[in-house]
Amino acid sequence: MSDEGHMIPPRGAPNWLPGVMAPAEEDVVSCVSCGLCLPHCPTFRVTGRETASPRGRIFAMRAVMEGRAEVDDEFATMMDECLACRACETACPSGVPFGRMVEAARAQVEARRPLPERTARRLGIGWVLARPWAIAAMGAGLALSQATRLERLLPARFSRTAPRVGLRQLLTRVPDELGEGPTACVLTGCVMDVASRDVQAATMRAVAGAGFRAVRGQARGCCGALAMHHGHPEAAKEMARQRIAEFEGADVVVANAAGCSNHMKTWGHLLADDPEWGARAAKVAARVRDLLELDLHPIPGERGAVAVHDACHHVNGQDMRGPLREVLRRAGARPVEIPDDGRCCGAAGLYSVLQPELSGELRTQKARAIAASGATVVACANPGCAIQIANGLREIGAPVRVVHPAEYS
Amino acid sequence: MATIPLSAVDRFRDILGTDRVLEQHTERLLYGKDGSIAEGDCGLVLLCETTDEVSACMRAAHELGLPVVPRGSGTGLAGGAIPLDGSVVLSVARMRRVISVDPETPCAWVEPGVLNLDVTTGVRHLGLHYAPDPSSQAACSIGGNVATNAGGPHCLASGVTSQHILGMEIVLPDGEVLTVGGPAPDPPGYDLRGFIVGGEGTLGVVTKVCVRLMRDAPTVTTLLVDFPSVTSAGAAVRDVIAEGVIPAAMEMMDRTMVRAVEQFVHAGLPVDSAALLLVEVDGTPAQVADQAAAVERICRDSGAASVRTARDEAERALFWKARKNAFGAVARIAPNYYLHDCVVPRTRLVEVLENIAAIGERHGLIIMNVFHAGDGNLHPLIAFDRRDPVQVEKVFAAGKDIIEACVAVGGTLSGEHGIGLEKRDYMPLQFAPLDLDAQCRAREAFDPDGRLNPRKVLPAGAKCGELILDAGSLPEGTWL
Repeated sequence: MSDEGHMIPPRGAPNWLPGVMAPAEEDVVSCVSCGLCLPHCPTFRVTGRETASPRGRIFAMRAVMEGRAEVDDEFATMMDECLACRACETACPSGVPFGRMVEAARAQVEARRPLPERTARRLGIGWVLARPWAIAAMGAGLALSQATRLERLLPARFSRTAPRVGLRQLLTRVPDELGEGPTACVLTGCVMDVASRDVQAATMRAVAGAGFRAVRGQARGCCGALAMHHGHPEAAKEMARQRIAEFEGADVVVANAAGCSNHMKTWGHLLADDPEWGARAAKVAARVRDLLELDLHPIPGERGAVAVHDACHHVNGQDMRGPLREVLRRAGARPVEIPDDGRCCGAAGLYSVLQPELSGELRTQKARAIAASGATVVACANPGCAIQIANGLREIGAPVRVVHPAEYS
Repeated sequence: MATIPLSAVDRFRDILGTDRVLEQHTERLLYGKDGSIAEGDCGLVLLCETTDEVSACMRAAHELGLPVVPRGSGTGLAGGAIPLDGSVVLSVARMRRVISVDPETPCAWVEPGVLNLDVTTGVRHLGLHYAPDPSSQAACSIGGNVATNAGGPHCLASGVTSQHILGMEIVLPDGEVLTVGGPAPDPPGYDLRGFIVGGEGTLGVVTKVCVRLMRDAPTVTTLLVDFPSVTSAGAAVRDVIAEGVIPAAMEMMDRTMVRAVEQFVHAGLPVDSAALLLVEVDGTPAQVADQAAAVERICRDSGAASVRTARDEAERALFWKARKNAFGAVARIAPNYYLHDCVVPRTRLVEVLENIAAIGERHGLIIMNVFHAGDGNLHPLIAFDRRDPVQVEKVFAAGKDIIEACVAVGGTLSGEHGIGLEKRDYMPLQFAPLDLDAQCRAREAFDPDGRLNPRKVLPAGAKCGELILDAGSLPEGTWL
């Protein structure tokens, strides 16, 4: 080739908004565009669009980094469509850390959203989830609207994605302390403490059964995973600080949701630049255990075939395929694989509400695959997945019950 | 970036609807790339779902005089799916139905967007498989395999894609739909299949493919052999074939490559060995035992340090995962790679490998090797960082040296990835002007206006007789 100028595209300064978290250059250039991630990406499988693939999203980040594209509506759509299920990370032979890249890209997207939309999201993700009483109020509101069937007045996409909250659920008592041994502080969390209080109570029994003095977190409060996941790192940091202060005295910190345990293990990384909190965050993060990582002793029984739903943040974030099957076996169940290569169910935090079409497609696919497994019970250890799957199964009329493995304790 | 006139965009929207015509800036940027290092300039993206849609789009492009580049999964390594000068990209990624399976013949009709591995997954319960298995088989499409005449480790014994395509439906540049071949063996008249397979999207858009399926072998054994030098491994490959043993697959990886991929697969690969051979033999239990014994004896005679047999299916899968993820693991060493695909006579394997190592040293570059040793199909892979312009220049110079070294011993430019854009300007090293002109005329019989994947494969302008003979770097109009 004669003209050197053709070989290197015109490159300018990065178009990232300064002062806001952005994907790191070394992460972005670590993708060689081989495409081995494509078949593992649920949104690429549904759409066949490069713009809805990990490789495409990384290239879009690269274009912004090289000053060849903007963080505009088009870029926002590409990042919004991502589930952040991180199946691409597990498939990537080069170990590209896609999860943290898309979270950073979303922080950029959020910072550029029009003010009314940004405020609404910030309110939902950053403000409500950081306030125990606000979460409780939302739960009560949900339960009331469902009990009185007032929810019919709300848009359909809301009733299809919201958790079913029985009034009895809200009144279920969760013990504050149970068992003996080293102290295990149990994350109270946000959604689960409203939607699945029976699972919360079962979690206390399970942790106690694993040889710990289970202590329930003092207040309802989110670990910050949702905020981080949806581009609000500052809100996520604030929630992390609250929880870290709460957990510092514990020997181990336990979370019964895949999304939470996975995120809490990254607290050290998240607060690394914070001189006051960095070291404290790293110390607490090192003590975080997913509930399934404990030596659980569920009550054995004749439980038959139970379909196994792996939460993305168990298999992709934490390389934890084995433990759920092991717990089910110990409980006397026969684990059955769901015939869909473990594809994401489309819950992905608030994705089911924000991307109803793609999420709905994945929800239906997952529900059909579970029904095809022949099991009448499906086990899963993440509240987002549980809500999504229950809604999907109800939609297709499949008589399959969703359980959290803690419920066998 | 070139843009397509709005009236043309509307014409395609009438056919496909709004959602399946992509025209925004970043969307087009993404379709300017494939699995290779180059980057072109995409004018518009069409996501087709049926033959009728492809035909209508091709007719519209014909009437509007727009160039079209067909695209499957975009995993190609020679830039075959990269659009130049604002071409329209026609993606078949949404055409992914298995239309019919005939377990008796056995064969299957599939759409071009079906992934290679999904064909096998879909017929595994019948004891069948689709034999060509490119390393990217989990991601690459049958349409792309047809375009490049793809190979794969198991093509050593069973042959490359062209030997497994029984028939095709193809949409010509003016929108006409043509069917060639079918399940029946040896169709009468000219056999156009051999021409269309490997056509790299310059002849038409393949919209249906009839693939040959093969029965699974009753027994398979996979050996992992560790050599103290690349030379001794090369000699073992030559001697195995010379003794008349044709393994199902025989693959080589050098030390740098093994170390990169071991970090991903954790298969316990011997990271200190200079070269690894992965040899698979299949057939009846007796045949497999005989062949495995012969391979082991020959390898040990050539100086193999150890021979490990896969204990079970899980370990065998792990060995293959290591081999098939090798290219993708290169980012652990450098952010970009430039990959070559030369084929050399097996008898010259050792000297060529030594030569390639010397070329790497001369240019101060890391060159890794992972390749189909059994059929002499090399994949020297130059790792680099495109952000360093000095390194980029060296990469192209070294690439040219490698190709010349391979052609000099009677090798060819490309075994399976295709010529596409990256190897296009090397064609004159292999062919005389007369040969190139003949190929150009054959292409013109299908595409008289030169609108389909223009400026690919042949180093010519839009018309025959305008050969550009300038080898050594990326063609004009592309970026790195």
